[in-house]
Amino acid sequence: MVLELKNIEKSFGEKRVLTGVSFKAEGGKAFGLLGRNGAGKTTSIRILMNVFGADAGEVLLDGKPIDYEKVGFGYLPEERGLYPKKRVIDQLVYFAELKGMEHKAAIEAVDYWLARLGMSEYRNKKLDTLSKGNQQKIQLVTALSHDPEIVILDEPFSGLDPVNAMLLKDVVREEIGKGKIVLFSSHQMSYIEEFCDSIAIIHKGEVVLHGDLKDIKYSYSRDKLVIASPEADRIRADFGAAATKTQDGAVLLRLSDPAEKQSVMRRLAENYEIDGMKVFEPSLNDIFVEYASEEGAEK
Amino acid sequence: MKQFGKIFKFEFLGYLRNKIFVGITVFFVIAIAVGMFIPNMIAAFSSDAPDVGGEGEPLPMMLIASEQDGLAEGIAAYFAAAFTDYEVKATGEAADAVKDKVESGEAACAFVFDSLSSFTYYVENLSMYDMNTEIAAATLKTALQIDMLGKLGLSPEQASAVLSAAVESRTEALGKNQMDNFFYTYIMIFALYMVILLYGQMVATNVANEKSSRAMEVLVTSAKPTAMMFGKVLASCFAGFAQLVLIFGSAIVFYNLNRENLDNPIISSIFDIPIGLFAYMIAFFILGFLIYAFLFGAIGSTASKLEDINTSVMPITFLFVIGFMVVMFSMAGGSVDNAAMKICSFVPFTSPMAMFTRIAMSTVPWYEIAISIGLLAGSVIGIGVLSARIYRVGVLLYGTPPKLTKILATVFAKQKK
Repeated sequence: MVLELKNIEKSFGEKRVLTGVSFKAEGGKAFGLLGRNGAGKTTSIRILMNVFGADAGEVLLDGKPIDYEKVGFGYLPEERGLYPKKRVIDQLVYFAELKGMEHKAAIEAVDYWLARLGMSEYRNKKLDTLSKGNQQKIQLVTALSHDPEIVILDEPFSGLDPVNAMLLKDVVREEIGKGKIVLFSSHQMSYIEEFCDSIAIIHKGEVVLHGDLKDIKYSYSRDKLVIASPEADRIRADFGAAATKTQDGAVLLRLSDPAEKQSVMRRLAENYEIDGMKVFEPSLNDIFVEYASEEGAEK
Repeated sequence: MKQFGKIFKFEFLGYLRNKIFVGITVFFVIAIAVGMFIPNMIAAFSSDAPDVGGEGEPLPMMLIASEQDGLAEGIAAYFAAAFTDYEVKATGEAADAVKDKVESGEAACAFVFDSLSSFTYYVENLSMYDMNTEIAAATLKTALQIDMLGKLGLSPEQASAVLSAAVESRTEALGKNQMDNFFYTYIMIFALYMVILLYGQMVATNVANEKSSRAMEVLVTSAKPTAMMFGKVLASCFAGFAQLVLIFGSAIVFYNLNRENLDNPIISSIFDIPIGLFAYMIAFFILGFLIYAFLFGAIGSTASKLEDINTSVMPITFLFVIGFMVVMFSMAGGSVDNAAMKICSFVPFTSPMAMFTRIAMSTVPWYEIAISIGLLAGSVIGIGVLSARIYRVGVLLYGTPPKLTKILATVFAKQKK
């Protein structure tokens, strides 16, 4: 299953919001849609889900225009909220039914997910009596209960404590394991880095970077080594200006010639006490800042 | 269609679970029950224990005073027959002494005569419904007339016959008798007014609530705006109708249970509404309700906060109140076929009230009714579709409510594509 947005254009009145947005997400993998606030992520997601149409471009599933009657979407919006004054079970069943489930099946599915997320005790409570984190988990049920093929999670981890974040991670892994397309949108780069195989960065309505995260990282010049060592100070003194200190106290060594990598590593291992050594790869955070900053637009 | 059903059910159950909604309904049913059973209960109590006060308590005293010899006594004899609620007593005291007696409460009221044809009426507090001077004047007039006829040679019996000569008259309304239809027309217009404003506001609040609680974010990705709009509005219509059926249905049941003790012609006229008119009532009620509910829904969708609603719905409320006023004044004036009513009975926003009033209280040609209903039904569909479009645009807009012109521009720009 491959979901593809192709040359999507969208304007609201005079304001151009999306310009030629294209990206591809595969089933059984997580896809990260990144971008700063107001970059066009939510608009892209809404077009993807047919909340409104694009001015131009198409949304394809396995190469064919997507049939919204047949393909199920699960959506956890960034702006969370359900009916505060209604019972948890009532509204969850309602949303599942709106997505096409039969009443009985909807109740079963909702009960399964409430149990899966440890929320069964709140089944008959009014939503606004729950804590914020628990309300988030309830909302997650609306995205998953109807077993959609495509799951879109917008900032899924914000507001969750570490235990709940862990639970959500397990759930997301399960969904990916079922072969679903899981689309993440987040500012928390560590989670994207942990889950997503491929990413797209949207900046000012345009996709400025798209592809496999490993490939993207590999495409950066591999001319730096990160060395963890108790003798970091001695290494830096010996290598002079080429060696700098990283935030976590390791040594970042710039090689004058990337081809020397093996020999430099051997030399380091022979002469110093080394805890670990690897070729430096930029973090997703670095990549994001690089592409989504004001200067990034000119790249 | 399936989504519409789910939304309808969810929204309708929402009304049934709303404590205020249930509370108002129960309150009305109980209030009507109490009102209808009161005459019965009074009857039950009075038959058990005959009215003690009626015979035991002395009647209030009415003084007839005149300084002329014998005049007071003569008048008192006449008045005793005319004022059976009073103990009529003649006195020869001066006006000041009589005034003191009225002020002190010794006498309820007093007539002080200068002559047979001139008097002053004294009473402590003059009630709005005090007819004593009119009764006194009429009594005296008859006495004077009999006296004068006597002087012309007629016997008292002949004189009474002359004075009580009566003309028999009959009225037959070939069209409508406004008196018969006035009360249920009044009730229907009032119910329509209350229900439309109450439920319209509820629909608008509901939509705005979904927006402000951000439940809309999930809803728009789950259901079609048309299904959402129609589901919501029809559910509120159904809930409103169910409420009215309960209230008026219980009224009919209670009325029939207490029929023999409720011989009030006004109440009877309400329950004797002709079946044809009842059908028109329901038709106009539903259509009128829908057209406003759609508008309220559309307006609710443009508001991000509940506070915005009150100002946004003002134009609609205003439109509705104008129609209401025209109908009410025309009804009170008895001219339900005036020019304003004729215009209002074809304008979709006012026709439910205006046309119904004309049908009930006047004779309207069938084609006018057909045109009015046709226009109204067409507008309901048109406004429904337009509202769903506005809703689709409105629900995703946050911040200050946009101008209507801007929304319509967006709606129609979309249509062109």
